[in-house]
Amino acid sequence: MASLKQPHGLSPRVQKLRSWYFEGADRSWNNEYSSWSTGTSWDIQFNELTYYIVPEVYTLLGAMRSSFRMAARPIALRQDFWSLSLPERRAWFLKEVMTRHLPRDLLPGDLLAGSRFNIQTSLCLNEAEAREYDSLVLGKKGARAAAIEFHNHGYGNAGATSGHLIPGYAELLASGWKGIAAKIEAALASLPQAEAAGARGAQLRAMLIATQMPRELSLAYAADCEALAASCAADGAGDGGGRGADDARRAELLVMAAALRQVAWEPARDFREALQALWLGHMLVMADENYPGPGVSFGRIDQYLLPYWERSKAEGMSMQEAKELLGCFWFHCNTAYDAQIRTGNNGITAGFGQLFNLSGLGAEGQDMSNELSYLFLEVIDGMSPILEPKPNVRLHRGSPEKLLDKVVSMVESSQGAPFLLNFDERSMAGMMREAREAPAEASLHIRKDNVHDYASVGCLENTMAGNDRSGTVDCNQNLLKAVELALTGGEDLLPFTDAMTGRTTAPRRAGPATGDARSFASWEEFWAAYREQTRYIVGRIVELYEVSESIRARFFPTPYLSCLVKGCAEQGRDITSGGAELSFVTIEAVTFATAVDSLLAVRHLVFDRKDCTMVELIEALKANWKGHEALRAKAHNKAPKYGRDDPQADAMGAAVMELWCAETWKHRTASTGRRFRPGMLSWNYWAGDGFVMAASPDGRERGQFLSNAICPSNGADINGPTSNANSVGAVLGGRGSEGADWGDYRNSLPNGASHTITFNPSILRDGEHREKFKAFLRGYAEKGGTALQINMLDPEMLKDAQARPQEYRHLLVRVTGYNAYFTSIGRELQDEVIARLSHGKF
Amino acid sequence: MGSSRPAPLAGRALLAGAAALDGDAAAITGLVLQIQRMSTEDGPGLRSSAFLKGCPLSCAWCHNPESIETRPQVQWLGLRCIAGRTADGCGACLRSCPRGALSRGAQGNIEVERASCVGCGTCAEACPGGAMELLGTRMEAGQLADELLKDLSWWKASERGGITLTGGEASLQAVFALEVFRLCRKAGAHTALDTCGLAKWETLEGLYSQVDLVLYDLKEADSGRHRVFTGAGNELVLANFERTAALMRSAAMPASMWIRTPIIPGATDSEENLLALGELIARADPPRLERWELCAFNKLCAGKYRSLGRKWDYEEASLMRREDLERLAGSARRATGGKVEVSWTGSCRD
Repeated sequence: MASLKQPHGLSPRVQKLRSWYFEGADRSWNNEYSSWSTGTSWDIQFNELTYYIVPEVYTLLGAMRSSFRMAARPIALRQDFWSLSLPERRAWFLKEVMTRHLPRDLLPGDLLAGSRFNIQTSLCLNEAEAREYDSLVLGKKGARAAAIEFHNHGYGNAGATSGHLIPGYAELLASGWKGIAAKIEAALASLPQAEAAGARGAQLRAMLIATQMPRELSLAYAADCEALAASCAADGAGDGGGRGADDARRAELLVMAAALRQVAWEPARDFREALQALWLGHMLVMADENYPGPGVSFGRIDQYLLPYWERSKAEGMSMQEAKELLGCFWFHCNTAYDAQIRTGNNGITAGFGQLFNLSGLGAEGQDMSNELSYLFLEVIDGMSPILEPKPNVRLHRGSPEKLLDKVVSMVESSQGAPFLLNFDERSMAGMMREAREAPAEASLHIRKDNVHDYASVGCLENTMAGNDRSGTVDCNQNLLKAVELALTGGEDLLPFTDAMTGRTTAPRRAGPATGDARSFASWEEFWAAYREQTRYIVGRIVELYEVSESIRARFFPTPYLSCLVKGCAEQGRDITSGGAELSFVTIEAVTFATAVDSLLAVRHLVFDRKDCTMVELIEALKANWKGHEALRAKAHNKAPKYGRDDPQADAMGAAVMELWCAETWKHRTASTGRRFRPGMLSWNYWAGDGFVMAASPDGRERGQFLSNAICPSNGADINGPTSNANSVGAVLGGRGSEGADWGDYRNSLPNGASHTITFNPSILRDGEHREKFKAFLRGYAEKGGTALQINMLDPEMLKDAQARPQEYRHLLVRVTGYNAYFTSIGRELQDEVIARLSHGKF
Repeated sequence: MGSSRPAPLAGRALLAGAAALDGDAAAITGLVLQIQRMSTEDGPGLRSSAFLKGCPLSCAWCHNPESIETRPQVQWLGLRCIAGRTADGCGACLRSCPRGALSRGAQGNIEVERASCVGCGTCAEACPGGAMELLGTRMEAGQLADELLKDLSWWKASERGGITLTGGEASLQAVFALEVFRLCRKAGAHTALDTCGLAKWETLEGLYSQVDLVLYDLKEADSGRHRVFTGAGNELVLANFERTAALMRSAAMPASMWIRTPIIPGATDSEENLLALGELIARADPPRLERWELCAFNKLCAGKYRSLGRKWDYEEASLMRREDLERLAGSARRATGGKVEVSWTGSCRD
């Protein structure tokens, strides 16, 4: 195995940009947040709703709000500003900041213009609106308090969040802003007079203002390029390097200027213009939402950029030039992290997700890998390790050997995949399920003949492209809470202590009174209680979401983004008001396996084996298992677990899935009419909420991690990767003609489900084994879930296993023809295994 | 030699016996030590391997010592024991044993009185932490086949993926093994038998009828040394090897073969041994011999010996050096006239 992955094969220009990027706060230029105000005393910049899904920052919300307020620079408003509708005010204000106030910089050696975009703009509220907003957000029963209360009690979190969609970039490149504006104008012209004077008219006018922003900005950058080119010629003030270098830079700047002038309004014609238009269009989405890189994704980039690349290639562009352009594109995507460049590791977190898909199925079931797919993979390979943009490679049963070879070699050299893998058949089945469950909302837009064009946002959340916002990170629900409420008959298991005030409040009943579990005579009674409580927690998250969703719809329109999402112009409706053709909200289940295993443990311990009574079990959980170690061990080791390809355990998983999905589909937002749909993604909640949630019947102590997305509980998958994947496929619905969604695939989760499997690097040690790994990927397409993250066992993990052996009791280390539990081989040998792994000697 | 004669009665009887039981696989049971899914080391493609319990050899270096005995055993895995973490010291195993075969040792460990223990597994059942582990579970052939076949789709996604029956020595439970092979093969699986070769020829021949690949172990060419290290001479192993080669030349056995030789320091790791094994391989000349694998000694099983309460002769031994493995592989190649694909696998000292 290679040691730590190094970037390689980059041109000097891209190498320089990349290194410069990683200088972080030491750079002479950065894309740090700046904040802008209408200059009123009541002004607000920071839209905290979008942070309600980040519990770590709850205590900082007030400080963030006031510091952006303090740092905000006022800009002169147009005379009639306050007579405009809110969407028009926002559109104008953003345009004004982006085109006239925010510095524009052309970066050294850069081939793409569009540098600064991280801003916090005024919400543009008038005094009355600001007062109303504040009471809705900050009031005693306001959105913030509701979000914190919900999280504190272990239900999860919810909030109307930015990004997480694929804007209509393909259409933007093909029709230019001119085409988009024409469409909006036509919509405006077709409005009846009364409507034109009302909200729909205001929205469309705001969108028209927004279309002028990229136009003006692009032309301004063009002028900057020309001016710099002129000064290169006049005094050698290019990037240095003498007259010859200046000549070269001058030529580049003029080419850039020409591209910027073209794409300011007109369609892109070649690869360079397409990338330039794409970047400006994309960065302005982040500017519009005041949020960097929140899962604003590119979709099937290797498909829609192909014609432009082919044109450029025919005109003589070399692969090397294309890679240089992409290298610059990569650089720009990463500057999203500059927003908070003075915190932590130069502001770099793993939290952003400007995702793009490569490869995947076509309309006729053919593989769509093309020259660009491989070019992108080479760029990823050369640039990594680097976090943005995030690749997601779509595989399917017919993925070509060449693609699998490249994927496997990249997994090998990066000791884990530098991308997620999406699996088409299962994913498409999920999207088709959405059309089936919500025919009125989706069946027109998700069809057998277009579902292959689905793409993923953020990490792996499947949506359609250019017309779909499905709120894929907005609602994160701890399914385990329903188990807790079923045990107690509707209240928290433990008293709650407020970390800030130190005040403890006794549990009080919140959920339905499903009875005293201690008197249940049968498993069926417990399941009935769980069913009721699941119904309740789904209702609660829907209710909480409504709070921020309705506030966002009322106060935080994003007219620029709305220009790029089909449905908004047609309906004269902002995307934040549910304007997208496909406008769902996804409830992402967290703690799936912990909930399933807990139900299995209750059934096993209390009803099947009678190892304990319900009284004892509840006592044990309240005591965090202290004094009940033997019972805990039984729960942990003897009760069945999901993830082992055990049909009975997986049937419990399927029952939990079915129940929760059915409840999810029942709801829609009141303010914006968006249907809810199910998915499984857990971001980092499974770690953090482990401290919030009480001990669980599966043997987990409070503070131990919960299960992640659709993954089996930590250490539960004792039968290896194939059994783990079989279980995942099974709870999603498996395969079979009955109730099939796509081919014979079934999938309950349109959003998809995050699945991580960790392998020992010896699986890739030679050509023969790499073939076996490819077979695993092909098998996953047959039997597994929608998306897979591949991790490689690393020495750090083994060291952790030495320190906390109980957590890793099933970790196998393997050498030819032999395997052993890592934790059972003795310290000395463990050290040896770690040393070998560290030095790539397996 | 002279195996071109028709399949002997014993082999046919074995087949006939199994066929007679068709549809009643439940009646055939075997003792299974472990099932390992997504095995990448026991044959081509992705495989599920079943380790059957019991072996006629007792190699000094054995990496799966828990597989040797033909009856169920229990072992205590200290790390999983919760005795030290409970107020009352647990003791569920001690209380549960119907024969009083368990006791607590000086360090709080659980000692198994091997003479009294019959491997009934009551203690394993009672142990909350899974520290008492039962080695050997009785399974019906159909039950094992069903368990293995859960990965059929994965095998089909790989080249020649399927099942491997290993051990222990799978041929010790030939009727069971044959039925498992038959059921899996019927479902479309590639089948592999891993054998040490120490079995009645008729037994092997019967098994071969349902096998696509034979993993044949040749450990030591010198019978005296073979006896010292494994507890048995190698005459039957070698004779069966030649018969296997001969049968492979006939239409009766279309299977392929891999040969595996453990390279054990101070035992099988001599140049002479590799040359001698190479010669006899060249002489028997099995067709479709796809590879000869030299499996480097590893030490990961030391803990298993401790759990079984056994001393291991190789506790202090060092891993092989890369250079020596390369040299031995070279000798093996030379001895087989370069006609056999020779490789070494596993880890080495450097």
